[in-house]
Order: sequence, then structure tokens, then C-alpha cells
Amino acid sequence: MKQRADFIVYWGGNPAECHPRHFTKYTIMQKSKFLPRGRKDRTMVLVDIRETKSVKAADIFLQVRPGKDFELITILRALVKGQYVADEAIAETGLTRETLDDLVHRMKTCKFGCFFFGMGLSMTRGKHMNSAALLTLAAEMNAFTKFVAMPMRGHGNVTGADVIMRWQTGFPFGISFNRGYPRYNPGEFSTVDLLVRGDCDAAFIIGADPGATMPQPAIDHLKRIPTIVLDPHITHTSKLARVHITTAPQGIAAPGTAYRMDELPMPLKPALKSPYPTDEEVVRRINEAIAQKPFWLPEGSQPQLLTTIG
Amino acid sequence: MLRITGGKVYAPANGIDGVVKDLFIDDSGRFAASAEGCRTIDAAGMIVFPGGVDVHTHVAGGAINFARAMTPEDHRRTQAFMRTKTRRSGLGGMAPTTFATGYLYAGMGFTTLNEAAVPVLSARHTHEELADIPIVDKSSLTLMANNEIMLDQLQKGEYERAKQVVAWYLWAAKSYGIKAVNPGGVAAWKYGKDAKQLTTPVEGYGNLTPGTIVTQLAQICDDLGLPHPMHLHCNNLGAPGNITTTLDTLQHLEGRRAHIAHSQYHAYGGDGWDTMCSETAQLAEYFNTHPGITTDAGAVVFGDTVTITADGPWQHLLYKLTGRKWGNLDVENETGCGIVPYTYRPSNLVNAVQWAAGLELLLLIKSPWQVFLSTDHPNGGCFWRYPEIIELLMRADVRKEQLQRLPDKIKGRITLPEIDREYTLLEIATAMSAGPARALGLTQKGNLSVGSDADLVLYHEDDNIAQMFSHPRYVIKGGEIVLEDGEIREAPQGREFLVRPAYDPGTDEFIRPLFEDCYTMSFENYPVEIERIEHPVVRDCHKVQ
Repeated sequence: MKQRADFIVYWGGNPAECHPRHFTKYTIMQKSKFLPRGRKDRTMVLVDIRETKSVKAADIFLQVRPGKDFELITILRALVKGQYVADEAIAETGLTRETLDDLVHRMKTCKFGCFFFGMGLSMTRGKHMNSAALLTLAAEMNAFTKFVAMPMRGHGNVTGADVIMRWQTGFPFGISFNRGYPRYNPGEFSTVDLLVRGDCDAAFIIGADPGATMPQPAIDHLKRIPTIVLDPHITHTSKLARVHITTAPQGIAAPGTAYRMDELPMPLKPALKSPYPTDEEVVRRINEAIAQKPFWLPEGSQPQLLTTIG
Repeated sequence: MLRITGGKVYAPANGIDGVVKDLFIDDSGRFAASAEGCRTIDAAGMIVFPGGVDVHTHVAGGAINFARAMTPEDHRRTQAFMRTKTRRSGLGGMAPTTFATGYLYAGMGFTTLNEAAVPVLSARHTHEELADIPIVDKSSLTLMANNEIMLDQLQKGEYERAKQVVAWYLWAAKSYGIKAVNPGGVAAWKYGKDAKQLTTPVEGYGNLTPGTIVTQLAQICDDLGLPHPMHLHCNNLGAPGNITTTLDTLQHLEGRRAHIAHSQYHAYGGDGWDTMCSETAQLAEYFNTHPGITTDAGAVVFGDTVTITADGPWQHLLYKLTGRKWGNLDVENETGCGIVPYTYRPSNLVNAVQWAAGLELLLLIKSPWQVFLSTDHPNGGCFWRYPEIIELLMRADVRKEQLQRLPDKIKGRITLPEIDREYTLLEIATAMSAGPARALGLTQKGNLSVGSDADLVLYHEDDNIAQMFSHPRYVIKGGEIVLEDGEIREAPQGREFLVRPAYDPGTDEFIRPLFEDCYTMSFENYPVEIERIEHPVVRDCHKVQ
């Protein structure tokens, strides 16, 4: 990206305000062996439903009509392949044929293109279908030139949680262990669904504040059950929890690893000392205390090992 | 302490071929000359092998973890590992989870494995995953052949500098050796290009050719005195007619040590998918006349798998061929990687040729000290299917039966039907343990000498070979019984082998400005701290004069 990307599209995101170091550290402002003039050698396109502070940094701003991202991506996929697209279809997205033809031309003639997509794409109408469409467009662009796509993620070390859950269980989130092995079904086993249905009888929360973001029925359930929170701060969730253990803030007073959104692990080196224990230490001590207790399920009550099917 | 009596022992490195012999293990988990008053395993009716060693597998790191994310549909239908008192839960399948990987390998009698492709940038991640693979001992190889800082030195003809840079990277990654993947080709792929011929300059690197990269890198491995030679994934993988590239590479390498990875994928003739045929006879002949060079088969087994390789351009081609999911990762200035789920079918002519070619190499290369059991997991098939391959190697009649499943058009494209050779148990023990241990330079593995690690696998002698090799009676790792009667008894933490090559102390300051110019993280944070490796075994390497 830093070395080669001469064509960068931010789609449904506002990096100027949400990822303020992205432009300067990784993308448009960097000079490199292959792009010696830095910003002048790169083209930046912003696709969003409204003008944000990121517009100022863009060479081209495409204001798509709200909820029409999927249609726009599909039209681009057709135009890239030289297929027929009706005028009405283009008009529906709020953009013109000239703009899109120009965009497609630039996409095809760049040397290294990249889509960064934010929650404005992945969490609006169409949701994961939008992400899938954009990823497909990026894959198909490789018939012409090099093209990649990457989500712009937020919320602390969410990528790190993803990565570790994947190597230990095979799945990134929405995992249930209630049969003794990992099963995955977002929409059924995701935290918010479990809480709204009232399926769980205890909650253990680290480094998140669901009390601030989840729907009311989920919050109500958190209040009903024993909720334990590990957090350096007082949060909406810590206020409703039965137990709040104050921990040292990661990266400031506690060491560890954070995964960048391209899944590269960065070591965290604490600058300050904290009187509070780290999250890791608290979890380890809870684990040790549990290990002292007798195995809580009676012998033979556990499901048996499954053998390979088919 | 432990005593194993009455078993028929096969230990190629010790010259023991099916002799009934007692074995003793001391308290430090190594073989001893005697042991008194301790637990005795009565191994009468069993055969005893040194623990298996996988020379080339992909079980940890960014790529396999991406593959796990891409294949939830496989996780659902696969073997589930229930949580027990000694075992953590997990999933088997095409890309098993870390804990399951340890149980599956140990469950098959393998006690050492070599993760064959780690970019330095994700080395920290890979070591964390390796630490979560229980029981087995591990090593990892660092991807170097497309590292831009190193390529720049080679382009300038600065061999000595390049050598220092490689040594610095090796220690930064805390790894065991050097892996070269499609030299120059992955760097070219950053612009959507490839490097198919050894004499054509690499895109963006002046006159530098893949041939130069490959020979100089092999020389660097030799000069640094690394225990394992350069581990090479040749250019032009998987393409019809690539035998010429492979033989050309081998000729470039003459006079240097090398391990050629998954050679099945590099032994094709023909000039298109319609005319593709196996050219393993030519390749095997080369190995038979050059006993110093080793390889692993990269054999294919029919069925579902997921292919992952640092060979980005090849994976894009595979995506276009199959129309299935495609994941691509470019790792800054170091390497890249592609991921595509794939199904090998006997009815597919290309797949049939690949299946035959893997077995042909294992059978045509005469010395099992030169060709090792591998599927390039998960590329040619999953590692837990090795027992099926062992059966095919030991039973010509089973091979004949399997050949019936292939399409008629296969005639004349493969030589497998004409091969009658059957592996003996001693040869199997060589190809799955003693040979790979020797090629990796792991002197304490793959043999039963006093002082070596007490890693053993005991099988009930059985005519059904696949059954026998997939269900060991006992597996002993470092003197501890980890598996008994198909149940994991203990899941101890394994060790990690790494090397510390000597390099000029000024190399840090040489690399720093180059690094800061092209990387996106700070120089201080880049090398993996030795404290992050669980149970490291560091081997110092000194310059070979």
C-alpha cells in the first residue's frame, strides 16, 4: 500500500476523523521507491453518502444515494467487463455515466489499486452483501491490474480477538461452546442475540462496553444476570455490572499485543506503571481458582466425541 | 523412566530393521542405555518407529488462519474435538485449529513438525499459534526470496551485505531456516506479474534474475552454516511443462545444498492443460544421480482441501480456473500469499496426473533418505491423510485398484502403472521420520540413539496398513505417554527450535534507514523478542570457512 498503491478508494468511511493516521502513515501521503512524488503519484477516491471531512483529501468524491452502494458496485462490475448498463440503473445511484466511465478507466489503468471499506458500506442496507460485492469487484479487477480490498476496522483490538478465536476455534466470532466444541452461527450465537433472547445466565466482559451500544432488551438482561466487567474505566456496562474489576489500560500501563487491521501483530510497550492488575493477570487468577474446584459436570454427562461424518 | 520391551524396532538411522529390542527412557525424556524399576510397556506384537517428522507443513500463521476464516462450511462437517480434562476443544478438517492440529499429529505418531513459510512481519503471530499447538516440537522457516531489502542488495551485486541481511532477518523472526518461494515471482506479483523463467529478469529489479536469487540464497544458507539447507519452492509451480524450469533450477543449484519442497507440483510435461503429463521419471533420475539433495513429495490425495501458498500469482490463476473463493494477502515488502479452496477429483485429468506424480516420485527416487512423506499440507491434502499414502506406497495391488478410478485418457501420461516397487516398513520409517529429521539437521530426532529425544510411536501389527498407521497403540513424546488406545492422555507443551546465525553488529544500523523507508511499523518493534517463544531451543550457527 505504502510502497505501491497509486489508486486508493475509501468507500463508506471517514478516515480523516475515524482513522486519522491512515492517510499519513500508510496511504496517500507516503513517498516510496515506486511512487517518488508521494501524493502527486496517487489518486484518491472517496465514496460516501454525504460530504465528510475526508472529502478535502480526495481527488474525486462520489456521492452515492443512501442505500445504493450494492447497486453501484454491481454497475461497476458490469462496466468493468464492458457489459450493458441501463441509464435508469445509473441514475438511481445518484451518479452519471461519465463519472463512472472515468472511474472504471482509472481503475483499469492504475498499477496497484485498493478499496478500503468502512461501516458506511458494511453496516448499512445490504450489510455483508455489500462487502461481498466489493470484494468480488476487487477480485475481478485482477484480470486487468493488481487490486486489493481491506475493511477499515475500529473498536480497539477487535482484529486481535478475531485472529485468536480463529486459530483456537476456527471461527472469528459468534461461537458457542455449549456442546463441548466450537460451533458458529452469527445471528444465533452472537453476543447480542444471546442477550436479547436471555439465553445466558452470566456474562464476563473484557475491553468492551455493550451497555453503551446494544439494544435495550440486551442491556436489561445484563442487569438481570451476574455481569462481571474488566475495564480500566467506569463505563455504562461497569455501572450495571455486579462486579467491576479495574485493570491497567493496555498499551499505556499494561504490555501485550494488538493486531493491526491488516492482521499484523504489534507489541505494546507500557509507558506508565499502574497499581491495577492487567486483564491477563485477572483472567489467569480466575482460571487458577476455577482449576482448584472439582470438575463440575458429573462423569458421563458430557456428550461423546463425534467421529468423522462422510 | 520407561521401558519398552518385546517390540519389533525399525530405526533406519541406527541401522535397526525389524529387530526385537528393548528400549529405555530416562527421566529427562531421552533414550538411555538402561532403566530399572520403572513402568514397562509390553510391546510384543507391536512395531516401534521413531516419532514422525513433518518436513513441510503449514499449520500456523497468517495464511492458514485466513484459510480457517474462509472455510466455515468445512468446520461444520468435520471432526469435532470435545473438551476433556486433558484436551482443549477444537476442529479438524482441511485447516484444523491449533489444539486439534497437535492432537491430530500426535494421534498419527508425529512428534515434530516444520512450519514451512513464515513472513518475518507475521512471525510474532506464527510463534503465538505454534505455542498453541500442543505435544509436538516445532520449527519454522522464514520467507526470504522476495524480500525487497535483500533483493536490492543482490541486484547491486552486494553478496556479503545480502548475507548479513538474511542472517539479521532470521534472528529477527526467531526461525530455524530459509524458505524461498517462487524467487522473484512474488515480488513481481505486487504488480500483477510473475517470474516463470530462471533467466528472465525480475520485474522492477534490473538485471536480477530468479536464477541468481536462487543460487545466491542457497550459498548464503551454506555460508551461514544453517542446519537445514535452503528450502525451495521452485518457480513456475503447477504449470504444464514446468519440468524444464525445475531441472534448470536444480542445475543452477549444483554444488550447494538444497531441499526441494513439494516436487510433485514441479514435475509436469506437456504444453497446456489438455496435454499435461507426468515427467517424474526425469526428475527422479536427477535425484538418483545427486544423492546430496533432498525433497518432499507434496503428494495429492483425492478430496476437499484448501490451498494456501506464498505463490500469489499461481493462486490467482487457480481462482480463475475454479471460480471458487480467493483470498490474497500481500505482506508489505516481504512476500504475499493466496488462498483458494480446492477439490481434487479422480475424474479430472489434471488432478489424476497430480495424484500419480506424487506417488511416482516417492517410488522412483530410490533412496527414502532423499524423498519424504508430505502433502504440502493443506495444499495437496490434509496431513491426517498420510496413512492412506503409506498404504499406497506399501501395496502395489491397492495402487492398481485406485488406478481403475482414473479416466481412460490417463494412459501414456503417467508411469505409475508400470511401477511395482513396494515400500518396506524400514523405508516408511525413513521417509516419515529419520530422513526428514536428518534433512532438517535435527540430530536429536528420528533416531533411537542414547541421548536422543525419546519420541516413539508403537503400532499393533496389522495387515490393514492405513488402519495401522492411523491408529497407533501408544505415542511417546519426550518420554511421556501422550496417547494410549486412541485417547490423548497428556498434552505437554512442545519446544521450538531456532537458530542464531552470526552477523556483523553493524547490520542493525545498515537496515534501519532502509526499513524505515519502506515498512509501516517501527524498527524497534519488528524483531520478535526471544521471551515470546515458549520453550525455545536456540542453536548458534557459525560461519563455515
